[in-house]
Amino acid sequence: MLMRDPARWTRLAGWLLVIALMAPTFPLTGFNPAALTQPDNLRTIGAFVAGFLPPALAPDFLGEVARETLTTLASATAGIALALLLGAPLAFLTSRALDRHALSGDRPSRLLQAAQTTLRGLMVLLRGIPEIVWALLFVRATGLGSLPAVLAIGLAYGGMLAKVYAEILESQTAAPARALHLAGASRWQTLLYGLWPQALPELVSYSVYRWECAVRASAVMGFVGAGGIGQLLDTSLKMLNSGEVSTLLLVFLLLSALSDAISHLARRALANRAGQGWLAAGGVLAIMASVAWLWPGWRDSGFDPAALPRFFHDFFPPALSLPFLPELGHYALETLAMSGLGTALAFIGGALLALPAAGRFGLALTLPCRALLNLLRGVPDLLWASIAVLAVGLGPAAGVLALALHTSGVLGRLFAETLENAPSEPSRALELAGAGRLGVFCYGVLPCVLHQWIAYALYRWENNIRIATVLGIVGAGGLGQQLYLALSLFQQQKAAALILCMLLLTWAVEGLSRRLRPAA
Amino acid sequence: MKAVKLTLAGIMLAAAAFAAAEEAVLKVSAIPDEAPTELQRKFAPLGQYLEKELGMKVQFVPVTDYAAVVTALDSDKIDMAWLGGFTFVQASQHGKVVPLVQREEDSKFTAKFIASTASGAKTLKDLKGKSFAFGSASSTSGHLMPRYFMQKDGIKPETFFKNVAYSGAHDATVAWVASGKVDAGVLNASVWDKLVESGKVDMSKVKLLSTSPTFYDYNWTVRGSMDKKLQQKITAAFLKLDAKNPEQKAILDLQRASKFIPTKADNYKGIEAAAEAAGLLK
Repeated sequence: MLMRDPARWTRLAGWLLVIALMAPTFPLTGFNPAALTQPDNLRTIGAFVAGFLPPALAPDFLGEVARETLTTLASATAGIALALLLGAPLAFLTSRALDRHALSGDRPSRLLQAAQTTLRGLMVLLRGIPEIVWALLFVRATGLGSLPAVLAIGLAYGGMLAKVYAEILESQTAAPARALHLAGASRWQTLLYGLWPQALPELVSYSVYRWECAVRASAVMGFVGAGGIGQLLDTSLKMLNSGEVSTLLLVFLLLSALSDAISHLARRALANRAGQGWLAAGGVLAIMASVAWLWPGWRDSGFDPAALPRFFHDFFPPALSLPFLPELGHYALETLAMSGLGTALAFIGGALLALPAAGRFGLALTLPCRALLNLLRGVPDLLWASIAVLAVGLGPAAGVLALALHTSGVLGRLFAETLENAPSEPSRALELAGAGRLGVFCYGVLPCVLHQWIAYALYRWENNIRIATVLGIVGAGGLGQQLYLALSLFQQQKAAALILCMLLLTWAVEGLSRRLRPAA
Repeated sequence: MKAVKLTLAGIMLAAAAFAAAEEAVLKVSAIPDEAPTELQRKFAPLGQYLEKELGMKVQFVPVTDYAAVVTALDSDKIDMAWLGGFTFVQASQHGKVVPLVQREEDSKFTAKFIASTASGAKTLKDLKGKSFAFGSASSTSGHLMPRYFMQKDGIKPETFFKNVAYSGAHDATVAWVASGKVDAGVLNASVWDKLVESGKVDMSKVKLLSTSPTFYDYNWTVRGSMDKKLQQKITAAFLKLDAKNPEQKAILDLQRASKFIPTKADNYKGIEAAAEAAGLLK
């Protein structure tokens, strides 16, 4: 006897609603899966990928790759050092865990609150603008080279570190801090003796994780002229030199694995005292070596800090005039559609890969699927976008494909983890009752994981809207392409309007996703 | 006390030497309208010739971004640059710069519209709904003038084509069209001729659609704060290059010039007007 799903109508309505919401994103982005099978596109991407073998191994080129790889690592390290210098004081000043009124229950002073609100606003602005946009701005302000990359990482990650440091301090047990405060300790003393000892491992662990992210960010900053292997990759991609691209891709994946391993080791070292000492010494040495490596380039670039205020002054007032506004709206919508469709496709892709990766179809499929997920995740979105423009042509469709590929890797891994942790009792009960494999999956597994999956996807969407705003830098449409153009043509006020639009779009999606996540 | 004085004297001496060393170097750059390696290759013999003529060290500063060359020249980070017509207009709007010489060919420069043979297009009008690549957004022959001429023909690239992209450089545009990454594109006539002559274009994949009307393009420009005498020496060195001298002919050939002629800012008024009309200035 065929059993009917009692909740079938509500489920069906839910899926139809999602499809109805997604439908307009296809015409908006021009994404057409059939483009992937068009002979023209197949020939273009085929010829490009065929050139991957053999990778370019000319000694001159390898020498340059080695130099630029060091620059990439050094920029990330120096950038994180700057982010620490910026983020730590900001966290110290704004963390509620150190506030007199929070510790003693007094009324907060108006002045203090206003000052903290201003600083928090600054932090939101610093981390709201994607680091590659900061890099693009600094390339225009201070010239090409590694300095813009360091400044960009310093500012964007400084804002992020400040927020997370403050939150880490707030999440600690408050009793020691309160006791110290009541005994008359200052803000400094409360931090050093009340919070620091318990929060340290978490603070260091997060900083190391950020460094790992910074390496990946620094590697693509060359796309806007901020040095490192990204710069070489940009040239090779523009000239469609596939041999060089494949060498650089390999280096990139190695770099990514290396920073992953270092970060892992560093977090392990935190467990004991000797390890902490080594970690601190290693960190200081790495920062000094990085600055020493980058210094000659900075000296030659003749950086003039006095020029910065003048440069940023030109951005005001933002060009929010009539002929430009509808254009702005169009690109914003295109960007939004790109992020939405990219994430939705990644949800499907991630789910399809997660099942075998979680070992549901035997070991023979598990390992290749995990490797594929790692590859999808390891290559950053901007790089996928520059390859996607070959596969589906220039424009937002390439952005959709890039987001879908990279996010499939990220979501696939998370989905697989959820599957592994899902309770097995419901599935077993259904199996024993004689249900087929599909039935077991739909009614035994999916209900256990779906909420978590949707929450992950929404979380990723918040991230993808930020990325969708910058994919245009490599020709994948949206706001990024317009920003790159405006800054190339010295149209700073237009650029300001575009950045403003990016920020608003990111915040709107964040707000929406935050509302949807608990409901999911 | 003596030690302090000696140290101070040493520092001053070093500083003086440093300043002197800095003065004796002419920092030269060029807009990256071709691949960086190609730019270096083109400049090497010219740089040696200028070193000999000017009696000072000449250093080529490679730059991968058009706008960065403009900013560097305006902020005196470099002394001399090879600019396109449009980048020259941008540089003179943001600071004081002096154009010295141009190639004879630059007074009647053109752009070439090309398409992939697979697109089946015979004229520009056939490209409606196809994808199209300019060079760099800051390029004169790869963006500004073609856009201006299309506008005069009633073509607005953003709506006429399916997609408009910027390849970044002239040789990249050819590579993009040849690979099928875009259906058509436009580039500097001089780079096109060079690529065709050297057999670097697969003519079974790329074909020439049309040639644009003429306009003023490239020049060698120096920063406005440069010593007038040095400006004259540089101008004289360029004008002296003679195609009858085999060594100098090699330099001219690499620059794709028959000879250099003096130029003046007024030559680029037309470019400025076109940029104004195409909405590419502020």
